[in-house]
Order: sequence, then C-alpha cells, then structure tokens
Amino acid sequence: MAARRFTRRHFLKSVAAGVAAGPFVWTPARAQGFNWKRFSGKELFLLLTKHPFIDVLEKNIPEFESLSGMKVKWETLPEIQARQKMTVEMTANSGGIDAFFTSLHVEKKRFWKAGWYHPLNKFLADPTLTSPDFDWNDFTPGARAGVTQPDGSVSALAAFVDANVVFYRKDLFGPKGLTPPKTLADLEPLVKKLHAPPGTYGIVLRGLKNANATQYPSILFPMGGTYLKDGKAALDSKEQVAALEMYTRLLRQYGPPGVVNFNWYECSAAFMQGQVAIYMDGVNFASQFEDAAKSKVIGKVGYAVLPSGPGGHFSPIYITGMAVNAQSRNHEAAYLFAQWATNKTNMVRELMAGVGVGRASTWDSPDVKAKPKMPADWYQAYQASLKIGRQGLPEIVGVTEYRDIIGVAIQKGIEGAPAAQVLAQAQKDFQDLLNRTES
Amino acid sequence: MLLVAVIIVYPIAYTGWMSLQEWFASSLTRPRFIGLANYGKILLGDARFREAVARTIWFTVVAVAAETLLGVAMALLFNREFWGRGLLRTLAILPMVATPTAIALVFVMMYHPTLGVANYLVSVVGLSPFRWTYSSQTALYALALVDVWQWTPLIMLITLAGLASLPREPYEAAHLDGASPRQAFWHITLPLLRPALVVAILFRAIDALKTFDIIFVMTQGGPANATETINLLLFNQAFSYFNMGYASSMAVALFALVMGASLILIKVRRSTTW
Repeated sequence: MAARRFTRRHFLKSVAAGVAAGPFVWTPARAQGFNWKRFSGKELFLLLTKHPFIDVLEKNIPEFESLSGMKVKWETLPEIQARQKMTVEMTANSGGIDAFFTSLHVEKKRFWKAGWYHPLNKFLADPTLTSPDFDWNDFTPGARAGVTQPDGSVSALAAFVDANVVFYRKDLFGPKGLTPPKTLADLEPLVKKLHAPPGTYGIVLRGLKNANATQYPSILFPMGGTYLKDGKAALDSKEQVAALEMYTRLLRQYGPPGVVNFNWYECSAAFMQGQVAIYMDGVNFASQFEDAAKSKVIGKVGYAVLPSGPGGHFSPIYITGMAVNAQSRNHEAAYLFAQWATNKTNMVRELMAGVGVGRASTWDSPDVKAKPKMPADWYQAYQASLKIGRQGLPEIVGVTEYRDIIGVAIQKGIEGAPAAQVLAQAQKDFQDLLNRTES
Repeated sequence: MLLVAVIIVYPIAYTGWMSLQEWFASSLTRPRFIGLANYGKILLGDARFREAVARTIWFTVVAVAAETLLGVAMALLFNREFWGRGLLRTLAILPMVATPTAIALVFVMMYHPTLGVANYLVSVVGLSPFRWTYSSQTALYALALVDVWQWTPLIMLITLAGLASLPREPYEAAHLDGASPRQAFWHITLPLLRPALVVAILFRAIDALKTFDIIFVMTQGGPANATETINLLLFNQAFSYFNMGYASSMAVALFALVMGASLILIKVRRSTTW
C-alpha cells in the first residue's frame, strides 16, 4: 500500500515540476561536463520487445555500458508476452525491471493509470541528468504528443514512430498514366481501374480483427470521423458509417480472396508476390519490399502519403518509447539508458537501417543522405506523414478491447453486413467499455 | 497429498475465489468482491460467451467424430498383415509428435487462399477453391481439419491396442455360424472395442474442448468471432483486457463443461448398452 501512495504522490509532484519547467531549453553553459558515469557500477535490467528498433539497438548496448560504466542485462520477448510479463511483475510489485520498451498506442493510458510509468518531466529539465545534445524539441510534435499524458507528464522517450502510407505498384500505374490518390474520392475509381483478378487485385488492407483497427483510421480520419466526442463513444456518427462502408466495400469488391482474415503478414505477402496494386499500411513494412530474398516487386514500389478527404489530411501514427519503471529502485540510472537509446546517434542508426523515428534532425543527417537504404520517395512519404501525424488509436485504457470491437464490425462489414448496423452494435459495446474503464 | 494440494487444489480454489471478484489486473483498485455477478453475466448477459460455448461444443463434436471414424478405419487397416506396415504405421503417428504451434503456422501458409498449397490440391481434384480459415463460414471446419490431421493417430493407436487384445474365440465361433466379416465387425469387434474407444474419445474430447494453440495462431478467433471458443475468449478477457475476475469465472465454466463431458463419457463406458 505504501508503494502505491508513493507512486501517486510522485505523480502530482512531477506534474507540478513539468508545469514549472515549461519549455526545455539548454544553454551552452549548462552543456559542459555532462557526466554519463554518475551511476557507474550499477546494474540495470531491461524488458524489451521483439521489434526492428530493438534489433538495431541491442547491438549497441555494450557502447552504453562503456559510456556509463553500468552493467546492462535485458530480456527481449514478443510484444504480447512482454506485456503479460510486465503485468505480472508490476502486479507483484517486484521492482525488478528498470526500463522497458512500451507500445504507447496500446499501453499509454492503461499503464499510466496504473502508475507504472515513472514521469520524466523533472529528469528532462535537469541538466545533470539530461545531456545537452539530447534536445527534446528535436522530436516531432506528434511524437512528443504521443508520449505525453493528459496531465502533461511525459511517460516515455519516443523511439519508433510508425505512420500509415500508400504503397503502390509503379509498373502498373505508369503504363496507364495513373498517379497515387490525392483524395479519398480518387481512391475508389483508381482501385477499380487497376483491379484485374486473378492476376492483380485492386487493393489490400488488413481484414483481421484487432489488426485492422490500426488501418481503419487511414480512411476514417480523412472522412472526418473520430473515436470519441465529448468523452462519449462516437462510432455511430455518419462519418464513421461512411468510412466503414468505404473500407469494407474496397476490400469486398477489389481485395484478394480471404482478405477478411488478412493480418499484415498476408497483406504484405500478397503485395510482395505482385498480386496487389495498392496497399496501405505501416511505413516500416516497406523494407521487406526492397529485399530481394522476399520480394518479387523490388524496385517497382512507389511510396506516397495517404489521400486527404472532407475531414482533412492525416496520417495515423503509432509510437513506441523507452520508459522508466515507476517501481524501479534506479529511476535516474534507468533514465540515462532511455536517453541514450533515443539520442541522435542511435536514431540515425535506426533510420539507416530503415526503421522510422520521430526525430527531425535525423532526416538531414549526412549519413542517411549518403547511404539511403530505401528509395527517396519512401523518405519523402514518411516525413510528410509525420507532419500530419495523429495518434491512430483512441487514447483510452481499454485499447485492445476497442480494437476487437471495431475489428469485428469491420470483418462483418467485409462479409456483407450493412455498415450502420455493425457500427450500432460496436457503439453500444464501446460505450459500455468506456463506462467500465474510463470513469 | 500435500503436493496435490499445492499444485492442483490451490490454483483451482484460487480461480474459484477470483471468479467472485471484479478485478482489472493493471488498475490501482484492489479486487472487489461481487459474489456471483460474473456468473450471472455469463449465463444471462453475455451473448459473446454463449456463442463461444456453442462453438466450442460444435468444434469438439465435429473434430472428435471425424477423428473417431478415421482412427478406427486406420486401426482396422493397420491391424492386417501387409508389406511395409511397420513403416506406414510409424509415418501415420508422426503428426502427433509435432508441436501444435508449428503445425498451425504451416497450415496458415497452406490455407492461404491464393498462395497456399491447399487450394492447389483442391483444384487438382477438380473442386473450386475454398476460403479455409479466411471466411467465417468455413474457418471453424478448417481448424477442425487441422485437429483431425494431428490427432486421428491417437485414436488409431488406442484402437490398435484394443484390437490386439481381442480374444480369437468369438470370431471362430462366428465364422462357424456363418457370420460375414461385416457382421463380425458390428457384433463382435465394435462391442469388445468399446472400452478402449471410450477412453480414446474421452481423451480427445477433453483436449478438443480446451483447444487453444492452433486457433490462437491461425485465426485468433476470427473472422469476426467465428472461431472464438471459450478458451480464446477467456484468454482475451484475462490477458488482453486484463479482466481477471470475469476471465476466472469463464475458466470455471469451462472446467465444469469439461468435467460434465467426461462424466457423461465415463458413464457411457460403464453402461451395458450403447
């Protein structure tokens, strides 16, 4: 019980600190003599997730060990297992994990409400803890918003930022004189023109429930739809109906057979086998399209920002970050690791490996420009998407449950049920979920 | 006795206790005692759970019926002497040895509607392609097929053992009385095999009711909720929604279902008529 009270009080304090600190500005005078070795000799334990970002990071952890003089141990688990382990460890209040990789688009509100994130505002404002070249304001506004809670506390340092973009087959577009869709109104006629089964299907998007919930906003946001209106569920608005109608009709009429149960794996496979003309999904999947061992469409893929619509121009973004465990006994030492993991040098390394990050300075890095791993339009589409980035999922406690609710509605829609009807049910379930978990 | 208490009784009792609480594993609020409210919700309020129960039972019936028919047929075949029997019998048992998760991943690729080998095989026989796990109409059957592929050999093995222990005399007597092989099968083999068969079906039914890995890997309960069995639903409630109390009450309900099915089958075994 004591630990819980401590955590809550800690929150209030750090909120106050965050407000007081205001914008984080570093002057050269403060920059001198940043001491990485403050916690030399300590040992850190990290809980990491199987993820391209972590694959790149893990290789460089020894560099952090020699920089800081700390010993780092870590465990890397698949995302779902990591979340389960986290829940068990935290519920048991073991304090064994110092820092962890967190999928904010799923965990942000839940872990925050549970008091598992150690707020970082005070650390970010403290020149003895934050190296002057870290530069918090270098993170894109979307990335900063993604790690910041409603009360202003910063729960993690943004690491990987995914954005939804359009992948299209240049070799199919070119001969017909087609260009990627500028607006939602362009999308369907375009897909229709490219649809030539069984050789080529017009479009593929995720159909599998839960997984599809991250792709649905690519249509929903430009259509003008939102998840919540004044804190209440808004799944039955006319924009929602129009968006679900469009998403499911595209897949029903122009998608490959069986698309209703396609996760990104099947979508990407169909696209890489050359069976699909247009594919909209997370920008990070692109690196395999350009991998000769996996892809038949290497060099033929164009990258573009998502189409706009009557509701505006958005790209749903999903953020993961490095967080400090509130139960850890080494908050400050763990923060040093999180800071190092998301510093400019490491972020450039990630981008060079084709892993997208939300740090503005990385785009102009001479290293990235000299040795681009991906085609130029990939970098352009990604950068443009970050500028119009909006958190892709509702920021609520029950994200997973929401994803199942809308996911089932989408699958029923793909199999032919009317959009208004499936959304009426989803609205009811979603409001019920909000009543149970958000109060 | 103490060991039994610690590793069997305690978890069951704890689950039972948990099922009477409302508790979200990630929240700051402590578990709250709500009596039988979770069970009330299961029985009356939650359509998703009711559908999951019906689906679980249907999946079990379809899979186990097919496994029994095929398993007995294979056992009768392998009970005869023929060249290469030992080798074939060993090959037939192989599916049982494989890890369900690995098998599920292989079947995911085989079932792919445009790239998979399953539709190629179907087209070779001259049928039009199926959607397999990629349609809510066929997904549950496609999953049952995986279960059948993997577990038919178990029924075959147990039946084979049963066949090997059958006495010769009744057959000789029947032969003298002029019974055809078919009559001998229906009136002698099957009744004598019944104890072994019931055990085999019991094993399989308990296992099929609890099937989790192949469904989790292959469909995660989809499309829509077309393959969401009790186990899938309770996994979601517990580890995706962190709704521990409610999930516990589902676990207890599943436990009751498995127990009930087992008791019925054991009773069938004891009774003298089919």
